[in-house]
Amino acid sequence: MSEKTNDFIDQYQAFVRDGVEAWARQFDPKAGPAVTPSPDIVGRLFSGLDGYGDWLRSVMGGQAPTSPFGMGTPPFGQAAPGAPSFGFGPPPGAQPGTERFDDWAKVAREALSLPAFGITREQQEEQQALLRAWIDYAEQYTRYQTLLQGVHDRASEALRHQQAPTDADSMRSLYDRWVNLAEESYAQAALSAEFREVYAALVNAQMRLKLLQQRQIERLSAQAGMPTRKEVDSLGERLQAMRRELRQMQGLAAEVEALKAEIATLRAKPAKAPTKTAAPKKAAVAKKATRKTATRKTSR
Amino acid sequence: MTDAPFHIDPERARAEMEAFRRKLEAGMETLRHVGPVELGATPREIVYTEDKLTLWHFKGEKAPTAKTPLLICYALVNTPWMVDLQEDRSMVRNLLAQGEDVYLVDWGYPDGADRWLTLEDYIDGYLDRCVDEVRRRHGLDAINLLGICQGGVFSLCYSALHPEKVRNLVTMVTPVDFHTPDNMLSHWARNVDIDLFVDTVGNVPADLMNFAYLTLKPLRLNQQKYVGLVDILDNPKELENFLRMEKWIFDSPDQAGETFRQFARDFFQKNLLMQGRIQIGKRQVDLKRVTQPVLNIYAEQDHLVPPAASTPMREAIGSEDYTALAFPGGHIGIYVSGRAQKLVPPAIHEWLNQR
Repeated sequence: MSEKTNDFIDQYQAFVRDGVEAWARQFDPKAGPAVTPSPDIVGRLFSGLDGYGDWLRSVMGGQAPTSPFGMGTPPFGQAAPGAPSFGFGPPPGAQPGTERFDDWAKVAREALSLPAFGITREQQEEQQALLRAWIDYAEQYTRYQTLLQGVHDRASEALRHQQAPTDADSMRSLYDRWVNLAEESYAQAALSAEFREVYAALVNAQMRLKLLQQRQIERLSAQAGMPTRKEVDSLGERLQAMRRELRQMQGLAAEVEALKAEIATLRAKPAKAPTKTAAPKKAAVAKKATRKTATRKTSR
Repeated sequence: MTDAPFHIDPERARAEMEAFRRKLEAGMETLRHVGPVELGATPREIVYTEDKLTLWHFKGEKAPTAKTPLLICYALVNTPWMVDLQEDRSMVRNLLAQGEDVYLVDWGYPDGADRWLTLEDYIDGYLDRCVDEVRRRHGLDAINLLGICQGGVFSLCYSALHPEKVRNLVTMVTPVDFHTPDNMLSHWARNVDIDLFVDTVGNVPADLMNFAYLTLKPLRLNQQKYVGLVDILDNPKELENFLRMEKWIFDSPDQAGETFRQFARDFFQKNLLMQGRIQIGKRQVDLKRVTQPVLNIYAEQDHLVPPAASTPMREAIGSEDYTALAFPGGHIGIYVSGRAQKLVPPAIHEWLNQR
């Protein structure tokens, strides 16, 4: 397929990308051409249309459709593992998922298991844990992407086995056919035990990494005399517990008031047996209990 | 992968894409001139507020004929305006037209101050006080409760804990068995370390929740939907409808951390509701105590709450007056589709009217 054949796709995608930039400039006159689309409707619209363009390009180029899954974004939207900013990381070109990365990770793990020494021991351990968590995240991310690639491969294979398009088929109808196959393949994988395990491992690895990053920021904030999230959370938890207790006490107070009113009403009535002063109280309690039981029975 | 799946005639493709591009170009003009869309079409008044919560009372064009008011309890996920999206897509409006007196619990947008709210705070606290307020306004011992999705789960728990305050219970797209094999969300959540998750994120951001929902059907919801949007870009009315739905999907609240922890762990992971072992505060939820008449409406093509997750309600509850209604549609279509407007509110009204 010649490059000229795909000119119209270039024009289409240029239009879509120009549209994103023009839209972004409406809100920010200083925005340059490389502005990321904001997560609003127009951003989502152009992102979807751009993906459609990628699909057209691969199909017109005589290739299986490009993978629509993942797009570098693991569950829960956290960025794919880039280079760690720990002053220590994989060598250039050793991307997660490559043999070079695996070799580096093996050596790094051994180095990171060495004991820390001296006055900065705790900080060293913190850094070691952070880098171990980053390596784990990168590895889990690779597993997840591999799984999604399998979903895409199976959908492509299914597409090849489908009936060839006829003259009546538009590009859109072929695209819709591809979407159906891709979603079927995805749903099948997503309900598998393997997906469940890989998905959770990736989310858990993300969270471990994020938690360690938060702890580091906490420590730095505390050193700078800033209030930390831990402190705010602590205050919030205590406040919520107190509000619950207050509600409970208000409920009890209302009950006491109601009982007082009931007693006052009973006292106001002429006593039937003046010699037994405790009798009205007992009767009131018995009456109340009977009424509760009756209510429950009625509601059933 | 380099094998071409099939041959495409380049000239035909070029012509089609040119037309598509022109349509998009023209449609951008329409998009520029569509003003901001709003949700919530029916007149309403605030009757109770507490923290972020608002209890709304809707005003119909005619006075209600129903003697018992109906309180709608929506999920914490997304805003409740799905039930009153726009004039011609409003379950609330149609319930009012039937003669119901409708109230709605709007949970609001939790922030950091709400991080420690628990299921007990929501169900035994906020919801209970809303029920009490409606009971007080109408001088009734018990009212009708309509729970939607997670709000349906809340309503079931509430009805079990306070049976004397609920006269009739209606549940819509409400899961009871969270471990059916076709429940993708529950399947994904099963091995996630929920404690680590909540300890890390605190309140669960709405964007993160949306991301999880979109990845249930990633290509359809992130790409195909927007390609399809080009077809209606030249139709301002259709475009407004689309934008309203889009606003509802993405304008969603964060989830209070502790409530999310409890719900994800006890319902999604451990499936305790089915086992009668859910704890709300110090009290255990026994669904056998739900003895009120129950109408359970589920959607046959629901990808979030599959029918199999909802229909076991019949065996789980204690009520002998149980009615199931299968709606031919999906999780959202049950509120906003044209068919839903015609079928669902009349069915609810008729069922309530008979009790």
